[in-house]
Amino acid sequence: MSSHASTVDPKKAELWDTHHHSHDVISTRTLGYFLYLLSDGMLFATLFAAYGVLSYQHSYFGGPTPAEFVKPWYTFAQTIALFLSVLAYGFGMNALKHKNKSGLINGMLAAFVLGVVFLVLDIHDMSHLYSMGITLASSGGMSAFMVLTQVHATHIFFGLIWILVMMAQVMTKGFTEETVGRLLTLRMFWHLQAVIWVFVYIFVYLWGYIS
Amino acid sequence: MLVDLPGGWSPLLGRLAWSQIPYANPILAPLFVAVVIGAIIVLGLITYYGKWTYLWKEWLTTVDHKKLGVMYIIIGLVMLFRGFIDGLMIRTQQVWAVGPHSSGVFGSLHGYLTPFHFGQVYSAHGLIMILLAATPLLVGFMNIIVPIQIGARDMAYPYLNALGLWITAAAAALIMISLFVGDFAHNGWFEYAPIFEMQYSPGVGVDYWIWTLQLVALGTTLGGINILATIIKMRAPGMSWGKLPIFVWASLSANVIALTSFPALQVALGLVAADRYLGAHFFTAGMGGNLMLYTNLFWIWGHPEVYFVILPAFGMMSEIFPTFSEKPLFGYITMVLASMAIAGVSWLVWLHHFFTMGAGPYVNTAFSVATMLVGIPTGVKVFNWAFTMYRGRLTFNAAMLWAIGALFLLLIGGMTGMMLAIPAINYMVHNSVFVVAHFHSMLLVIVYAIFGSVLYWFPKVFGFKLDEFWAKTMFWLFSAGTALVFVPMYMLGFMGMTRRLEYVFNTGWQPYLDVMEFGIVVYTLSVLAFFILLYVSVRDHAKNRVGADAWGTSRSLEWMTHSPVPFYNFAVLPHINERDEVAWRRQHGIDNVRPEHYEDIHMPNNTGVAIILGGLTFVLGFALTWRIWWLCIVSLLAIIVLMIVRSFRGDPGYIITGAELQRMEEEAYRREAQIADSHHSHPVSGGVVGNAMAYQRNDSSK
Amino acid sequence: MDIKWRNWLKKGWRAAALAPILLLGGCAHNPYWIFDPKGIMAKTNLFYMIVDVVIMGAIVGLTALLVVWFMWRYQKGKNRGKYDPHWSHSNTIEVFVWGIPIIAVGFLSYFAVKGTFEINPYNPTVITHHMKPNGDPVEVDVIATDWQWLFVYPQYHMAVANELVLPVHTPVFFRLTSSAVTTTFFIPQLVGMIDVMPGMRTKNALLSNHAGEYQGIASDFAGAGTSWMTFKTKMVDKADFSQWVQKVQQAPGTMTYASFNRFAQPYINVNHHVVYFSSVEQGLFDHVMTEVMRGKTWPLPPMMTENMVDYMKKQAAEHRD
Ligand code: HEM
Ligand SMILES: [Cu+2]
Ligand SMILES: [Cu+2]
Repeated sequence: MSSHASTVDPKKAELWDTHHHSHDVISTRTLGYFLYLLSDGMLFATLFAAYGVLSYQHSYFGGPTPAEFVKPWYTFAQTIALFLSVLAYGFGMNALKHKNKSGLINGMLAAFVLGVVFLVLDIHDMSHLYSMGITLASSGGMSAFMVLTQVHATHIFFGLIWILVMMAQVMTKGFTEETVGRLLTLRMFWHLQAVIWVFVYIFVYLWGYIS
Repeated sequence: MLVDLPGGWSPLLGRLAWSQIPYANPILAPLFVAVVIGAIIVLGLITYYGKWTYLWKEWLTTVDHKKLGVMYIIIGLVMLFRGFIDGLMIRTQQVWAVGPHSSGVFGSLHGYLTPFHFGQVYSAHGLIMILLAATPLLVGFMNIIVPIQIGARDMAYPYLNALGLWITAAAAALIMISLFVGDFAHNGWFEYAPIFEMQYSPGVGVDYWIWTLQLVALGTTLGGINILATIIKMRAPGMSWGKLPIFVWASLSANVIALTSFPALQVALGLVAADRYLGAHFFTAGMGGNLMLYTNLFWIWGHPEVYFVILPAFGMMSEIFPTFSEKPLFGYITMVLASMAIAGVSWLVWLHHFFTMGAGPYVNTAFSVATMLVGIPTGVKVFNWAFTMYRGRLTFNAAMLWAIGALFLLLIGGMTGMMLAIPAINYMVHNSVFVVAHFHSMLLVIVYAIFGSVLYWFPKVFGFKLDEFWAKTMFWLFSAGTALVFVPMYMLGFMGMTRRLEYVFNTGWQPYLDVMEFGIVVYTLSVLAFFILLYVSVRDHAKNRVGADAWGTSRSLEWMTHSPVPFYNFAVLPHINERDEVAWRRQHGIDNVRPEHYEDIHMPNNTGVAIILGGLTFVLGFALTWRIWWLCIVSLLAIIVLMIVRSFRGDPGYIITGAELQRMEEEAYRREAQIADSHHSHPVSGGVVGNAMAYQRNDSSK
Repeated sequence: MDIKWRNWLKKGWRAAALAPILLLGGCAHNPYWIFDPKGIMAKTNLFYMIVDVVIMGAIVGLTALLVVWFMWRYQKGKNRGKYDPHWSHSNTIEVFVWGIPIIAVGFLSYFAVKGTFEINPYNPTVITHHMKPNGDPVEVDVIATDWQWLFVYPQYHMAVANELVLPVHTPVFFRLTSSAVTTTFFIPQLVGMIDVMPGMRTKNALLSNHAGEYQGIASDFAGAGTSWMTFKTKMVDKADFSQWVQKVQQAPGTMTYASFNRFAQPYINVNHHVVYFSSVEQGLFDHVMTEVMRGKTWPLPPMMTENMVDYMKKQAAEHRD
């Protein structure tokens, strides 16, 4: 049986924090945001699980299946738009490294426009389905299809608002600790949405098209 | 797109109509009048004493983690009381409505609650107790204790912390308003498919349930992120992972669970909403839906959730036992590993909540064995507490009694949990009151740990101890109530009584129900004792003032700073040398060493944005419940705009100069020195009793 | 040897279970349905419960004693035990602390696996392997509605609502579905629970050698009428069973697809009506399942039981009482 022996000499021990150190705002912020993205990732994982359960033949209940209406090239265009948007944002962030404000704004503007292209394509696609009478009320399978894709689209929508807000903040406030921190977290968000889109594209659109 | 509603709808008020207000209900109408009168009196008193500014500046707009924690705990206690009243109503209905010859009043055939109302009462009871009583109480304690225990001045994100609180408050408000406007869900706290579909639950009850839970989930997720980031980023210098206090470890593991599991609930609820609002077919029996998907999604969250609430309670017990055994926690590393193991395994067991669904024997045994694996780390914890007492010097004050009570309840709950984990047993007692007794044993572990913690940490937060006599009286009454209610409940489980019976069809169960009703009466007395406890303690607070180390045998960092804790927690952050830093300093006689030199510190400003956002989420939840679309849009837009505005404004915070700090600290030390001889009636220093404001007021008067 | 052990354990357990009953005044028969099984399925459940309680009870009981002993021995000021303010670790104890639960869980896992297969509702080996059925199995198709039970006997082309009559010494195989919401089929003294879900089929089985009347329960909450959704299960000997079958086959009522549609309307069976149907349209069970899968529902009116007395009057006025 051992006991918990003291390892520090109490006579010489340092008792108070002498070198006043302030914690790093940006890294604390990005850590918290990373944790949020973790839960966002779980959200999508759960939605994918639901989609997996509801994508059997009988889930479509004899109604339309993705195989009947998915146009892989159309969705591929969406993919390209979103990827270019991420790339543009990356260019913007590169400009940030050089404290180049207009470079950053240009990059973000391009990212915004490309994101809008993505969203417009999505809305067009959905209204097209709606005009064919395909909605999320058609069957369990279609409910899962619609909700998964549109939850992703909603994320994109709020991301776009955020991009606008950040453009305004950079223009009015310049590069402060706060704005730079937010630009970094926005980048994390935008990247995650692109990654999730890859999964949506492969497992929902392409897979649905094939089967 | 939108589903057809059974019943009316108007663009202005949605489904809301006069007929939805139960003004003719003989229970709710008087209650409503009482609530209104009570509210008028309270508001009147606040106005009379001119406390509005104080309330607004000190509490409603605060970002101080201690005050937010106190408010979490107040919400939790209020909801605990509401849930208790629900429990009392359930017991009273069941003891009354036994057998075909029992009488009925208020439109019910037997007893006094019709199925329509009985269903709401027990659904609200379950939801409130787990998510709006236990959860806020635990989150409140984590909020108060974690930053101090790791030697931080605040949470990583003080504003987010306030937001989490006000969203939780909005959830509590939403479920409370369902009492008087419309109806609440009828089908149990977890509902189930397809009974929550529009065809079987046409009212707004399920909608209230959806949005209340969504708000709780949102608030808890925000809180979880905050606590995790705080623990990872804000530890005092020298506090390596191996020196982290055990309650902090417990909070860490609990919030890892929360952060990862709550999204599953949010998705499940979102899909229910899609079914009910948009006519989707996720969980319908027909049209390609899959109702078992809901059950799975719910319990994939639900089981981790029960561990999310028990792990902090374990952490609390692990703080109380060493303090009153006057020796370190036995097996610190084992304890940490056990918490992590519980957190991990809790993900792999959800199916044990529906062994009877007819999954094959391979699936059932896999989940059965996984479930029993959870029993291993749980057992380890019990042993470790036992060996913490071994070779100790035990003081049985009220806090310790609650902790020991929790330990025994855990033994009973663990034992019955291990019974339920075996399908061949589960088939007989699933959906019976035996399960109800099991999880009440477990949830009572939490309640016991919480009351223990209230007693244990109260002096730290408010600067004086609670009255021992009344605390012990409450403990014994409460424990007598526990025995009287739950022993017969286990017995009824063995008799085959199933849960949620509005009418009890077997008269042979009457004697046991009688005993349980008596138990509820005893519980009620313990609630009374609690109120007396608060009254007596506040009355005698001057006699019970304490210094920094309130118990004299405390071990972790929160006992190093003054009681009550000043709003800046530590004037100079301590440097951590040992796991039980305070015990170590005390042992070596260096606990009186003061910092020599004070530097400027930076603190966050108060903000009214959080409470306004919380109010808006309440409006949004209400509008969604009643399908008042314009109001949904307005409140959502307001939320977005407000968030954007806040992000533009930011928070520069303010500086407290070193000189000012020194002045406040010296004042605090001076008063602390007076406690011993003359029971001084002034608080030793600031903190929850309102010194932050006092400080700021001083500041502006200069 | 297995069986003997079981009998022995069972007797001991029953004695222990009876003790509190005697204390409470003593009844003629055992009110503890779970401890008084009358069917082979329920008996097997009880066996595993005893095993579990013995193993876990030993550990939990000893731990409780240990805690109480420590509380007594190390109370401050009593100086009964030695105080060691630093002692907080011991490898030996750690081994036991982890070892005991691990071994216990190992043991229990063995029984968990074995038991799950023995009373697997879809293929309970205690019925299919160990027992020689003396007689052909009886099949029963169970359809739960809001809030009644319809028991269809396909072999006899007849059906009974809210009462189950079965022959002793004969395996009974159930197929179960629901026309409305999920509930659970449970006869505590005969067979454990199995969920009954709309648009899906589950199975269960029972075998009993004890004639008698046993309570059947809808044990999962299914809405306002759940509390009254009970049914008596009568185990009768074979001669009585054939007689009963003949009686039912002469009943006036019949159950067709159309009449099921009326039968499945929400109905709270407060007076425990039992109805016999002398004939049943072929394939009713599958018909209900497909209908439900196609999206058919029998919705409830809003605020249905807000006033139960009024609702019962309404139900009576519709001549459904
Ligand atoms: C030794 C560890 C535990 C084991 C083996 C265990 C096992 C189980 C099992 C198998 C069930 C399902 C019963 C049924 O519905 O048939 C269950 C239900 C439940 N358990 Fe535990 N449990 C344990 C610990 C806990 C803890 C720590 C809590 C929470 C504080 C808890 C809370 C619950 C709740 C709330 C339910 C039922 C929920 C409901 O049906 O309404 N359990 N437990
Ligand atoms: Cu309860
Ligand atoms: Cu569980």
